[in-house]
Amino acid sequence: MKDDVMKTPIPVSLPPLATGLIAVAACAIFGWLFLLAESEVAVLGLVLLAVLAGWGAQKTGLSATLGTAMHQHSGAMNGAIVASLLAVIALLGTEHFPLLMLSTMLLYLVAALGLNVQFGLTGMVNFAGAAFFGIGAYTSAVLTTHTAVPPLLILLAGGLIAALIGALLIVPVVRTAGHYSAVVTIAFGVLFKTFLEVNEVLGGPQGLMVGSMNVFGWDFNNGPVLMGHEMSFYVNYALLSSGLAILAFALTRRLERSWLGLALDSVRLDETASACFGINVVRAKVLAFTYGNILAGIAGALYGMMISFIAPNSFTFSDSLLMVSIVLLGGLGSLWGSALAAVIVVLVPEKLQILQEYRFLLFSVLVIAMLLFRPQGLLPRGVRSYFPGGRAQR
Amino acid sequence: MDIGLLGQYLANGVMLGTMYALVAVGFTLFFGVLDVIKFSHGDVLMIGAFTGFTTYLGIVAIGIENPWVALVAVLVVSIATTAALGALIARYLVLPLKSAPPLNILLITLMLGTALREGVRLFYPDGSNPKAFPALLPTASLELGSFSLRADSVILVSAGIAVIIGLNLLINRTRLGLAIRAVAQDEETAKIMGINYTMIVLVTFAIGSGAAAFAGIMNGLYYNEVNFGMGLLLGLIGFSAAIIGGLGNIYGAILGGFLFAGLQTVGAVALPFASAYKDVFAFGVVIALMAWKPTGLIAERSSDRV
Amino acid sequence: MTRTASRRTVLAAALTAALSISLTTPALAKETVKLGFIGPLTGGVSNMGLGGRNSAELAVDLRNKDENAKYAYELVPLDDECKPNVGVQVATKLATNRDVAGAVTHYCSAVAMGTVDIYHKFNLPIIVWGAVLPDITYGNEYAEVHRVNGTMINQNEVAADFMVAQGYKSWAIIHDTTDYGKGHNTYFTKFLTEKGGKILGTFGVTSDQQDFTAELTKIKELNPDVVYFAGLTPLAVRIRQQMDKLGIEAEFQGVSGMKSDAYFAGLSGDLAEGTVTFLEGAPAAKLPGGAYFMSEYDKAGFGENYEAYGPFAFAAMNLLIDAVEKVGPDRKAVTKYLADVKDHESITGPISFDDHGQNTVALITKYVAQDGKWVVWEDSEYASGKRQLKHK
Repeated sequence: MKDDVMKTPIPVSLPPLATGLIAVAACAIFGWLFLLAESEVAVLGLVLLAVLAGWGAQKTGLSATLGTAMHQHSGAMNGAIVASLLAVIALLGTEHFPLLMLSTMLLYLVAALGLNVQFGLTGMVNFAGAAFFGIGAYTSAVLTTHTAVPPLLILLAGGLIAALIGALLIVPVVRTAGHYSAVVTIAFGVLFKTFLEVNEVLGGPQGLMVGSMNVFGWDFNNGPVLMGHEMSFYVNYALLSSGLAILAFALTRRLERSWLGLALDSVRLDETASACFGINVVRAKVLAFTYGNILAGIAGALYGMMISFIAPNSFTFSDSLLMVSIVLLGGLGSLWGSALAAVIVVLVPEKLQILQEYRFLLFSVLVIAMLLFRPQGLLPRGVRSYFPGGRAQR
Repeated sequence: MDIGLLGQYLANGVMLGTMYALVAVGFTLFFGVLDVIKFSHGDVLMIGAFTGFTTYLGIVAIGIENPWVALVAVLVVSIATTAALGALIARYLVLPLKSAPPLNILLITLMLGTALREGVRLFYPDGSNPKAFPALLPTASLELGSFSLRADSVILVSAGIAVIIGLNLLINRTRLGLAIRAVAQDEETAKIMGINYTMIVLVTFAIGSGAAAFAGIMNGLYYNEVNFGMGLLLGLIGFSAAIIGGLGNIYGAILGGFLFAGLQTVGAVALPFASAYKDVFAFGVVIALMAWKPTGLIAERSSDRV
Repeated sequence: MTRTASRRTVLAAALTAALSISLTTPALAKETVKLGFIGPLTGGVSNMGLGGRNSAELAVDLRNKDENAKYAYELVPLDDECKPNVGVQVATKLATNRDVAGAVTHYCSAVAMGTVDIYHKFNLPIIVWGAVLPDITYGNEYAEVHRVNGTMINQNEVAADFMVAQGYKSWAIIHDTTDYGKGHNTYFTKFLTEKGGKILGTFGVTSDQQDFTAELTKIKELNPDVVYFAGLTPLAVRIRQQMDKLGIEAEFQGVSGMKSDAYFAGLSGDLAEGTVTFLEGAPAAKLPGGAYFMSEYDKAGFGENYEAYGPFAFAAMNLLIDAVEKVGPDRKAVTKYLADVKDHESITGPISFDDHGQNTVALITKYVAQDGKWVVWEDSEYASGKRQLKHK
C-alpha cells in the first residue's frame, strides 16, 4: 500500500513499472509481517525499517520513479495493489486478530476517504466523523436485530441514514465557513454520544448487539474453507472491507478527477471566486458533505457487524479526532496518504499495546515527530496538472 | 422558585461563564494572529493548574504558611511556566508548520495535548487520581436565605473579569497590542512595517497560555480539585464559546463563554426533561445558533461571504 | 514474547528469530503459561485499570517466586481503553493466542458485554475482576465467563437496607450517564422505593463533567437527607467539594467505584468525613490474606494504588493460577475446573460460582470515611455512637 518501502537503490535501467511492482510486493510483505509482529523488537525493527525505507526512497529518487509508475501504468499498478491486498488476506488465512485489524483499518480508510472529500477537497472540516460512523453502526444494530433486511442492503441503509441525519446539519454547515463549521460538527459529535448515553431506546450506555453479515445465505461468522483448511471467519470481513475500500477509493478518485472535483477544489480555495465563475457553492458543499457521511455510514455499518457489539463509548469525540488525524497525517486531499495514515493511526496504537499505559504518550509523540518532518502530511497531494488533450492527473 | 435560589444559579453561572470566557479568549488570540486552532489549549490549562499545585506543595514544604504569599507564588510560577510553555509550543511546533495547511497545526497541537495529558497522568505522582487543590482564599460566606455567596467566589470572578479586561486593554491600547493586531490583519505588511513577526507570535502564545494558566488556577481554587483530564472538556467548551461569540473579537469570547454557561445551567435545572440531557440541549442550541448567525454572534468586521 | 502462529512461513520465522530476544527467561525448565489481563490502562478510569493490572501482576510474581509452582507464569496485560470496540480487539488478540490459558478481564461493563461472545467463541476461560453489570454473567449461558466481584444488585440492596435502617427518609440521586452510574441508579431506586425511601430528584451527569453547581443548587432546594452518587472517585470528589461550596448539609452516600484512597487525596479538609460507601467482598484488610496482599503490594513498589477492585483482580488471578496448577494449562480443563469452584479461599472472602459463573458469596462490606481512611462500618466510631452521620 505504501509506495516507498524499498530501501535498496534500484538501478536506473529498471523501468518504472517493474520498480513499482517490486515496491508493491515489498509493501505487501512488510504489511503482512507488521500485522503478525508481536514482540517489542519485531515491532520496533519493522517501524524503523519503514522509516528508513521512506527516507531512502526520498533520497534515491525512488518515490519519484514510483510516482511515474503510478501515473503511466495506473492500471497495472492498481491491479498489483489489489492483488497484493488479497494475497495478504490469503496469507493471514487463519490468523483472526491480524485479519480483524486489517479489516478495521480498511473500514477506517473508507470513512477517512469520505472525510477527505469533505475537508481535503471542499475545505469543510468535519469533527463528527465517528458520529456518522456510529450512525451506520447503530443502523445495522437495529436492522439486524429487529428486521429481516438483507445485510448487504443494511450497509446501504447505514450510509443513507448517516446522510439523512447529516442533512439536519446541512443548513448550519453550508452557511458557516472554516472554524465556524468545525464547531457545528463538534457540537453534533458530542451531542450524538451524549444522546445515545442518556436515551434508553438504543441500548443506552450499555450498548447493543449487532447481528453478523450475511451475503446470499452465507453467514460471515463461519470461516470459509479453502483447500480443506478452515480459515478465520474474519477473512469474510476482510474481503468485504477490501471490496468496500477499493470501491470507495475508485469512486473518490473518480470524483476528485472529474469536473466536480475541480469545482470542490475551487470552493475550498476561494468561495467568492468560485461563485463568480458560476460554480454553485451550496450544491458543491451539500454534495461533499453528503458523500462523506454516506461513506462513513456504510463503513460504520459493516464495522458494527464485524465487532458485533457497539456502545456510545466507541463513537466519542476523540474517535472523531482519530479519523481527522488520518486525513491530516496522510496529507489533506491525498487519497494514498489517507491509506498510509490509516495504517499508522489504526495499527500503531495497537502494536504499542506492549507498552501498556505508555502507548498513547508514545503514539502522540510519534505523530508530532512525523508532522515536524513532513509538515504537509506524509504523502501530500500533488498539484493538478493538465495535458493538452490528456486527462486530469492528481 | 424563590429569589435566593435564582440568585444562586446566577452566581454559579457567572462563575462558570468567567472561566469559559478566559479559555475562549486564548482561542481568540491564537486565531487572531495565526489563524490556527490550538487544540492543546485545555491541556495547557491543566499544566498551569498542576504547576500551581506543585508550587503550593513546594511553598508549604519550605514552611511558608501565609495563604496570600502562597497564592502570589502559585500564580507567578504557574503563569510564567505556562507562558514559557506556550511560547515554546509556538516556536517549535506551530511556526515550523506555518506553510502547511492550518489544519495540520490543529493535528500537531491535538497530539501535543494528548502527550501533555498522558504525561501528567503517568509521571506526576499518582497522577491518574484527582488532587486536592488548597483553598487559599477566605471562605467566609454571606447567607441570604437560600442564597450563599462565598468570598472566594467573588474574588475569583472579579479577578477573572479583571484579567479579561486587562487583556482587552493590552490588545487595544498598547503598542504591543497594536503589533499583535497588525500581525493578525496582514502578516506581510506587518513585517514590512518593521514588526518582529516571530516575536509577536511567541508573545501572543505566551499571553494566551498565561491566561489559560490563570483559568487553571482559578478552576483549582474554585473547585478545590484538579485532575489530569480537566482541560479536555474546558478546551472544547472554550473553543465552542470563542466561535459562537465570533472569532477575532475579545467581546465575542466573553459573550460566548457566558452564553454557554447559561445554556448548561438552564439545561440542567429549568427544562422539563431529565437533567442528563443538558449537554444535548446546550450543543443543540449551539448548532441552531450557528445556523442563525454563521459567523458568530458578534460577526467579524470583514466578511467574505458570497 | 512471540506467539506460535499455526502457519508461519520461513521468512517470518527467520525474522522473528533474528529480532526477538527472550526477555523473560524462566530460571528453571518450567513450562511457561501465559495468562491475560485486560483493563483500562489509559484514559479517565486508568487509575482503576492500573490498580487492577498491578494486583494481577503481583499475583503472578508471587506465584513465580513459589518453588512449588508447577509452571512459570507470564502476564499478558492489554489495554481496552474502556471502549467496547477496543475491548473486542484485545479480547480477540488474547483469545486467539493459543498460549494463553485464561484471563482476568474488564473493569468497564459495556466492554465486558461486548467481549463475552468472543471468549465463548474461542473457548477462553475468563474471570471478570471489576465490571458490575448483572448481564455479564446472567445475560448468557457461556461456561467460560466468571466473575469474582458481586453485581450492582447485591450492593444496592444492602445499601438501601442500611441507609433506611439509619433513619434517613429522603434522597437525591446523582449518577453518571455511563452504564455503571445508570445501572446503580436503577437498582438503588428499585430497592430504596421498596423499602420506603423517598427519592426527591434524579440527576444524570456526564462522566467528564467538572461543574455540578447547577444540579446541586437544585438539590439544595429539594433539601434531601442524603445525596446518593453513582459513579467513580473523580466525580465523587468534585461533587462532595461543590456540595460544601453551596452549603448542602446532607449525608453523602457513594458506591463501590469511589471506595478509593484517592477520595481523601482529592478532598481538602475533613470534607470526606462521614461519607458512606459499599463494596462487594469481605474487607481485604481484615482477612489474613488481605494483610499479606497489602504488604506485598507496598513492597512491590507500584506507582499506583490498587484501588477498590485491585484485591478482586488479585483474587481472580490467583484463582486462575490455582486452576492451571491443578488441571494444567488447558482452556477446556480450566473452564471445567472453574465451574466447580466452591468456597475457594481468597483475599476477598470465599469464592463460589453459580451456574452462570457468578460468585454467589454476596458479601457486601459497608465503609465509612473516618479520619482520612475508609473504615469498615462495624469498627467505626460512627457505629459505636461516638460520632454521628450527617443530617440524622
